[in-house]
Amino acid sequence: MKYAQSLIQLGATALTVSVAGVSSAALAEGVDAGSLIENTATATYDGGAGSVTVDSNTVTVRVDELLDVTTTSLDAGPISAAPGEVVLTFEVTNTGNGPEAFELTANPTVPGNEFETVIESIAVDTNENGVYDEGVDEILTGPETTSSLAADDAITVFVIATVPSGVADGDQSQVQLTAAAQTGTGTPGTVFAGAGVGGADAVVGTTAATASATGSLAVGITTVDLTKSATIADPFGGDSAVPGAVVTFTIVAEVAGSGSVDDLVVADAIPTDTTYVAGTLALGGASLTDAAGDDAGQASNASGISVDLGTVSGGTSQTITFDVTIN
Amino acid sequence: MNTFAKFAAALCATSLFAAPAFAQDAGPGETLGATTPVELSGDVLLAKTVSDASGVERIELVEPDLIVPGDRLVFGTMYKNSSAEAVTNFTVTNPLPEAVRLAPDADAELVVSVDGAKTWGILANLTIVSANGAERSAIHADVTHVRWTLDAIAPGESGRLEYQAIIR
Repeated sequence: MKYAQSLIQLGATALTVSVAGVSSAALAEGVDAGSLIENTATATYDGGAGSVTVDSNTVTVRVDELLDVTTTSLDAGPISAAPGEVVLTFEVTNTGNGPEAFELTANPTVPGNEFETVIESIAVDTNENGVYDEGVDEILTGPETTSSLAADDAITVFVIATVPSGVADGDQSQVQLTAAAQTGTGTPGTVFAGAGVGGADAVVGTTAATASATGSLAVGITTVDLTKSATIADPFGGDSAVPGAVVTFTIVAEVAGSGSVDDLVVADAIPTDTTYVAGTLALGGASLTDAAGDDAGQASNASGISVDLGTVSGGTSQTITFDVTIN
Repeated sequence: MNTFAKFAAALCATSLFAAPAFAQDAGPGETLGATTPVELSGDVLLAKTVSDASGVERIELVEPDLIVPGDRLVFGTMYKNSSAEAVTNFTVTNPLPEAVRLAPDADAELVVSVDGAKTWGILANLTIVSANGAERSAIHADVTHVRWTLDAIAPGESGRLEYQAIIR
């Protein structure tokens, strides 16, 4: 042991200037666990018999397995949610240097939540299209564990949760997904002897072999209120509902809430004993043709009026008017 | 302690990249008795950063029982001229294992190759030409070989050569 002792002393002395250069930080693209590092030096020199070549012995060391993982939310921002099912998307990346499976845990209880979701299941993006496909993407069964991911491989994970009824528009909530190396987690440097690739040791890296990310969702409850009113102009300059009087109907569609509604179509029948006045349909004061297909509106005596408002954001209102005459 | 003293002397010599200042009585062409008068012995150690109770970091060289990417290895080669005659033009060439890169704080005067031992020089003088013809300065991670040259090794003299590398 004297030999080894001498080396240690020597090295410690010689190395004191290079502390800053030493890093135990894991490189995501690190050498694969189980790789052999072999070093051989060769000397040539002039001796008595001319040039001589001699090799050193070869020293071999095997790279051990580093356990590291990252988790990120793939959602661009809070997901718009309403009572019912919601899907949050995450990515889990094996940043270690050997194949590793990760146990997944979804936690709906995050400080600051205005309500809490109910976690239904965790699924992996089996068909790798980035979108949760019910019946296609594999739902993990407890303990929810990914398949073994090769070093540097990433997997897309979906957390399927239910937003309870009774939440208010604009309420926010977060769901936390945690991935933990199946081999084990702990403070960086924790060693799991023999648990690595090919019997090598596994050692916990800088990520502690566990990583969490949160995805958020915001409740967007959108309501549509329709208000219909009528004004009458009789032929004599008054407002009596007499034959020949023109009735102007006004329908206000008011969309409220933080979300939006799609394909909003407002339709109304022409009242009995009245006749639609051709060319009077208007949206926001702008005339629409009675014909179908050329603009948002269509109108006829038989079918009534119909205006396709398309997607309408919360906080806006649209006003539709049309005239009929009393028969 | 005698061993340690020799190591220290050898390390000093290699780090200064100068030949040991020994008198040379024997020259090339003189008959040597041993068939392999110089023996090489390789070893590898892990440079491990440890913190003491007060949080001060220092580095220990330990057996590489547990190594992971990012760790620093110290590859050493002991040489010893066990013959009764000096040898000259002593050159030790060490290919770097693919899984490591030369430590960024390596001696700037260390002679290296970045092209598989075709050309040699100090790193600052070497360049890498990419497939599209663009040229750039070579960096530590490009180094494929390191080389040491000693003018002569006196009879009975031993020493140690070493380089440090980071596991990729």
